[in-house]
Amino acid sequence: MYTVIHAILGYLFLLLTVRVLSRRPGGQLTRSEFVIVFLIGGVIILSTTGNDRSLTNTVCAVLTIGLMHRLISWLKQRHRIQGAWIDGTPLVLIKDGQWQQEVMNRMRLQDTDVMASGRLKGVKTLNSIKYAILERNGSISIIKATE
Amino acid sequence: MQETTPVGDSVPKVNHELAVGDDLEFQRRWWRFERGIWILFLLIVLADLLGCFGRGYFADAEMQTADGRTTIHYQRVERFSTPSILSIRFGPGDVHDGKIKLWMSNTLLKQLGNQRVIPQPSASVLDQDGVVYSFDSSPGSGSIQFALEPASFGVFNLTFRVNNANTTALTIYVMP
Repeated sequence: MYTVIHAILGYLFLLLTVRVLSRRPGGQLTRSEFVIVFLIGGVIILSTTGNDRSLTNTVCAVLTIGLMHRLISWLKQRHRIQGAWIDGTPLVLIKDGQWQQEVMNRMRLQDTDVMASGRLKGVKTLNSIKYAILERNGSISIIKATE
Repeated sequence: MQETTPVGDSVPKVNHELAVGDDLEFQRRWWRFERGIWILFLLIVLADLLGCFGRGYFADAEMQTADGRTTIHYQRVERFSTPSILSIRFGPGDVHDGKIKLWMSNTLLKQLGNQRVIPQPSASVLDQDGVVYSFDSSPGSGSIQFALEPASFGVFNLTFRVNNANTTALTIYVMP
């Protein structure tokens, strides 16, 4: 019983922690973020399985986490607002060529982050970007002014 | 029949031309929530550093019996399934005929999960509400230790008595 409760609480706590960590521009993990992912994962595993290393305990923990993931996916699909709470929403960084300063500041982004994504799309200067969108997975989509 | 969300072009557009689905008002609410969560995380870590959740300054506790002869040093806040030490220091007046008799309530064995007593008692006798331990002792002061590993979490009252003195009670919180 404890394993199932620990797995549910661990899953929800981990979901919240990862959610409040800022989205990484480019959607890629840095070395320090790798440390966070492995360390938090390891700590939660210790608490979930405890001293019980039986196959029963492991199977119950894995099944619980699988069911939690299925439940969260179902909630996200059912209502857009629930999806927004769990995964966030896309954010407009440049709109009609204008920087959205509030979003840039709050998401702790710099123009160089946007330009890095622009270069992947063949954009030479920031002026030729009409829209820049910070996606839910942390990547930045670029729409060129000429498109 | 299972109810499903209809799929279609329902994504809100920016400037009526780019389907993004952003929601700045929601995001502002989220940023406020996020700030609250980080403050909460910070408070939890600070409380833990201070020992409010066990194994720290505020968790450490010491108490004397009413006659002032015996001192118990314990963790006010314990953690579920985590080893800790509870020690009792006896005064010279606690030794009678070369023996110290210590009665501990059942909480020690059941909820606090006593693993062993150091040094081993010369005898231990079960009664209805606890255990009476007998220790051989030379005149003077001495101390014994109980190695605990709480088997359940909650708030527990532990009572003990040295020889036939009054019972001393203490409250121990065991964190999950």
